[in-house]
Amino acid sequence: MADIALKSTNVTKYFHDPVTLPVLKNISLEVKKGEFVSIVGKSGCGKSTLLYVLSTMDRDYEGELEINGLKVTGKSLNDLARIRNESIGFVFQFHYLLPDFTCLKNVMIPALRLGKLSAKEVEAKAYEKLKMFGVEEQALKKANKLSGGQQQRVAIARALINDPAIIMGDEPTGNLDSKNTGIVFDLFQKLSKEFGQTIISVTHDEDFAKRSDRIIEMADGEIKSHG
Amino acid sequence: MNVNTEIALTYLSARKKQTIIASLGVMFGISMFIFMQSLMKGTNDYFEKMSFNNTPHIRMYSENKVADNHMMTSFLNDPSVKILTNPKQLIQSQGLTNPYGIIREISSKPEIANVTPQVTANVIYTSGSVQINGNVAGVNIDEEDKMFDVQSNMVTGDLHALNWVNNGILIGRGIADKLSLHTGDNITVTSGTGSPTIMKVVGIFATTVKQIDETKSYANIVQAQNLLGKDRSYVTDLKINLKDYNKASQVARDLETMTGYRAEDWVRANEQLKAAFKIRAIILNSVIGVILLVAGFGIYNILNMTIYEKIKEIAILKAQGFSGPAVTSIFLQQAIYIGLMGGIIGICVGFGITYMVSRIYIGAGTLKYLPMSFYIPHYIEAICFGILTTIAAGYFPARKASKVDPVTIIRG
Ligand SMILES: Nc1ncnc2c1ncn2[C@@H]1O[C@H](COP(=O)(O)OP(=O)(O)OP(=O)(O)O)[C@@H](O)[C@H]1O
Ligand SMILES: [Mg+2]
Repeated sequence: MADIALKSTNVTKYFHDPVTLPVLKNISLEVKKGEFVSIVGKSGCGKSTLLYVLSTMDRDYEGELEINGLKVTGKSLNDLARIRNESIGFVFQFHYLLPDFTCLKNVMIPALRLGKLSAKEVEAKAYEKLKMFGVEEQALKKANKLSGGQQQRVAIARALINDPAIIMGDEPTGNLDSKNTGIVFDLFQKLSKEFGQTIISVTHDEDFAKRSDRIIEMADGEIKSHG
Repeated sequence: MNVNTEIALTYLSARKKQTIIASLGVMFGISMFIFMQSLMKGTNDYFEKMSFNNTPHIRMYSENKVADNHMMTSFLNDPSVKILTNPKQLIQSQGLTNPYGIIREISSKPEIANVTPQVTANVIYTSGSVQINGNVAGVNIDEEDKMFDVQSNMVTGDLHALNWVNNGILIGRGIADKLSLHTGDNITVTSGTGSPTIMKVVGIFATTVKQIDETKSYANIVQAQNLLGKDRSYVTDLKINLKDYNKASQVARDLETMTGYRAEDWVRANEQLKAAFKIRAIILNSVIGVILLVAGFGIYNILNMTIYEKIKEIAILKAQGFSGPAVTSIFLQQAIYIGLMGGIIGICVGFGITYMVSRIYIGAGTLKYLPMSFYIPHYIEAICFGILTTIAAGYFPARKASKVDPVTIIRG
């Protein structure tokens, strides 16, 4: 099926510290291209852990993962790095920016790494993304001089810079007020509807989840409902 | 600019103080390297040149042989007969047979720059009632000057006077002092085999070697032959200079087989000089090694600290698709820039120190200033060593950074 953006089959993951315990149990899920999916569940149920596996950063799991119809389980570190750079945008639970760089540079770096556009073009594009979230005035400030909410918005802008096929967010709106949450939600919706980008977002915000295309409910390392 | 380079430079400028200290370490290493290499090469060159001021590249002479009985034995051809002899030095002319033939033959070889004959005579110098031992070198003074720059040692008088003053002699300053002689005075010279000859001092020279100044004198080769009571074909030594003195031992061996006479090259004649060069080189290289090690450790340290502090950022970069090699490149580049910066400043400082030291007045004998050499390969070597050290020092921290597992770090 060509329109599957992401598919996991029987993904199981254990943590061994302090005792070996399964955190993810036989997770099989499919997300279509252009779908906007929310993942919800109690704190500690394994949402972040699942997202790290789906984002190809965590390779220590059992089962199989496919992205855009391509099996990524077992690929080399360098291949995975390239896939992440090109096709996955990730917003972390705690907005991790690089403090030594300006906000603009932070947004530009993944695009410079990808190297498809010239530095000038990347800069223009980065400005455009920052503008969408209303943080263009902060562009030339060092990242650690921003408020938490501003940093989070810059982090979302950075996740979008390479127009990734899949955008993953770990509570991307956790630090935002209702107005900015609204902006982010509307933008995610626009990206999925108009540009066919797939959004997978962990959230504790019921309203946010309800308005998305589908809610995946997790409990205790298992999927309770595929929505 | 490559994004890895940009990140490397940002990290370096974000911690200016540590960056500067680390490159100062490299600078110190490189400038010391250059300074010490220049001093050593300068000194070695100086001593080498000094030794060539009185030693030719190759000296050929006829060696005294001890009489043995092998001719007798083979004549008798009877092993049961034992011949008892009392070995003595052969009473034989110590000169070379057909010296001018040999000179012609040697001069045609392409490696040879100059060949000049010499008659060495052991003599007693007498002036008034004072007598001292010494030796007269009978030479062609023009050729001698060309090969050994006698002119630079002249204190008074004119060395070319040997060519036209009958019985002229150039004496060392030590002889002049001991016998209280001046240019124009007369001196009686007696050899073991000839009759006493009154000679006229036409000049006084001083080398750096006291022993030479107290014994040596120059005379025309014909005068020396006369002193010894020998004929015009009597020559004791051939002094040979080569186009490349590093080939001396090879050429000397060839000449020995060619002529049958002993040919001693300057390396064998100056073995203690070569030993001193070697010892100096060992001392120097260990000092430089230690300095570069310390500089390298500085770089290693700063990179390790950076990586420790930036481990979260490395994880983020990797999460955004920076591969292991890209991260290695980011940190290795930091090491290289520290090395380059320190290296370039180090080269300038090294040159500066070398230049300044070369202006320090020493005033020991003919050595007025410290002999420093300004030799381009030293500077190239210094850069290479500096870069090698920084790469070696940066490699391990950079590799460590490239192995960071993003998930472990980001999860906290
Ligand atoms: N490195 C680790 N070693 C052992 N156990 C861990 C480790 N990291 C997380 N866990 C455990 O795994 C479970 C899932 O953690 P995870 O971070 O995925 O939860 P979450 O659903 O994202 O929670 P939250 O909503 O609070 O972010 C938790 O019970 C947690 O204690
Ligand atoms: Mg979480």
